[in-house]
Amino acid sequence: MRAMYRLDSIRKCYGSNVALDIEELTIGEGRLYTLTGANGAGKSTLLNLLAFLSPPTSGEIFYAGKRVDWNHGSMEEYRRKVTLLHQSPYLFGGTVYDNVAFGLKARGIQGEARQRMVDKALDGVGLQGFRDRKARELSGGEAQRVAMARALALKPEVLLLDEPLANIDRETTGLLETLIASLPAQGTTVVLITHDPDQPGRLNGESILLEGGKVAIPHPPVRR
Amino acid sequence: MDFLVSSFASALRLIGSFSPDVVDAVGTSLAVSAGATVFAALFGIPLGLLVGLSDFPLKRLVVTLLNTLMAVPTVVVGLLVYGFLSRQGPLGVLGLLFTPTAMVIGGVLLAAPIVANYSLASVRGADPRIVPTALTLGAGRFLAVGTLIGEIRFGILAAVIAGFGRVVSEVGVAMMLGGNIRGYTRTMTTAIALETSKGEFAFGMALGIVLMTVALLVNLFLNLLQQR
Repeated sequence: MRAMYRLDSIRKCYGSNVALDIEELTIGEGRLYTLTGANGAGKSTLLNLLAFLSPPTSGEIFYAGKRVDWNHGSMEEYRRKVTLLHQSPYLFGGTVYDNVAFGLKARGIQGEARQRMVDKALDGVGLQGFRDRKARELSGGEAQRVAMARALALKPEVLLLDEPLANIDRETTGLLETLIASLPAQGTTVVLITHDPDQPGRLNGESILLEGGKVAIPHPPVRR
Repeated sequence: MDFLVSSFASALRLIGSFSPDVVDAVGTSLAVSAGATVFAALFGIPLGLLVGLSDFPLKRLVVTLLNTLMAVPTVVVGLLVYGFLSRQGPLGVLGLLFTPTAMVIGGVLLAAPIVANYSLASVRGADPRIVPTALTLGAGRFLAVGTLIGEIRFGILAAVIAGFGRVVSEVGVAMMLGGNIRGYTRTMTTAIALETSKGEFAFGMALGIVLMTVALLVNLFLNLLQQR
């Protein structure tokens, strides 16, 4: 199994505040990790780094063995392999279809292929028949499922989830947990932030605990 | 009270009879305001988006300057443009003074800061998750910004309409740069000022009613779009 990410001497600072200080962290391909820690431990900062949304203040990130160069070239290439889903995801104005198709359009996928991928993603989260509904009129749980479908439609190499199940009902939680737990078998690497102490066990993943921006419990090493 | 009621009745008759003077003033007002608004939007929207989306030294100063420009009295703008367009001015050779073109130039200077400021406010008030969401779904910078613009389109439309409102309702620039020439540069506002001073209160009131109706229709249009 190869390393999807390798973080070397990563620091992320906001002014004089060190939000993240990781000596070394390896995330294996096709594995599921739960990221836990108190508020302000640096979990969301780490996820933003892994999503290539913000560069580290210092240190190196390697993605699939390749050093990420934050200063040169577009980050689009990396961002198209990784998708981040927030606790309260933003749904664009328009229909459910418009939202789920957004990333596919950005990748130039058109016509019937796009429609098939949207329908399949909506089926996967149990939202058949929702494609023409207005996104802004959905309930919180439905919106979360649309955001999940929007992410999964892209078949990302890595799915990053920032407390995706925090504000939704038990039934939807069960559905999405089953879906998330099935992703590593399809080759998708999953990193999920959670405050639910039972969730790591339910998802059968490996745990990474952050404390004060540092990795407190090293997870089992991954052979590179 | 009788005076107001009879003037109001006369005003309605003038509007209903499509008095040429009323039609000319309304036409000039709308044409000049629309022209100025288009150019103000072309300058103001990109400026507001640029300032709102980028960080640069002296940004606060630029924002303060834009805010200040919104409050510049119309006669000062008129005076400034008059200085450039008058026969002795640097652009006097173009012969633009007392033409609709001069009024459009003045209108652009009045409306552009408003459009820019409102566009800037829309960007600042936008949901901070829009751009990161677009980026993490694989959008490039341009598509992410395009998506942001799409999401705040009603704010930008409101900016354009506010710019139009500023131009269509002002007197100073239209009077100083247009000269209030009947059938050519006479607008609703300059005609109201002139005719009322001549005692033609009903005529002024007729134009006032049209002006208010235009404002109402523009805002109804905006509301209609927002509800869609």
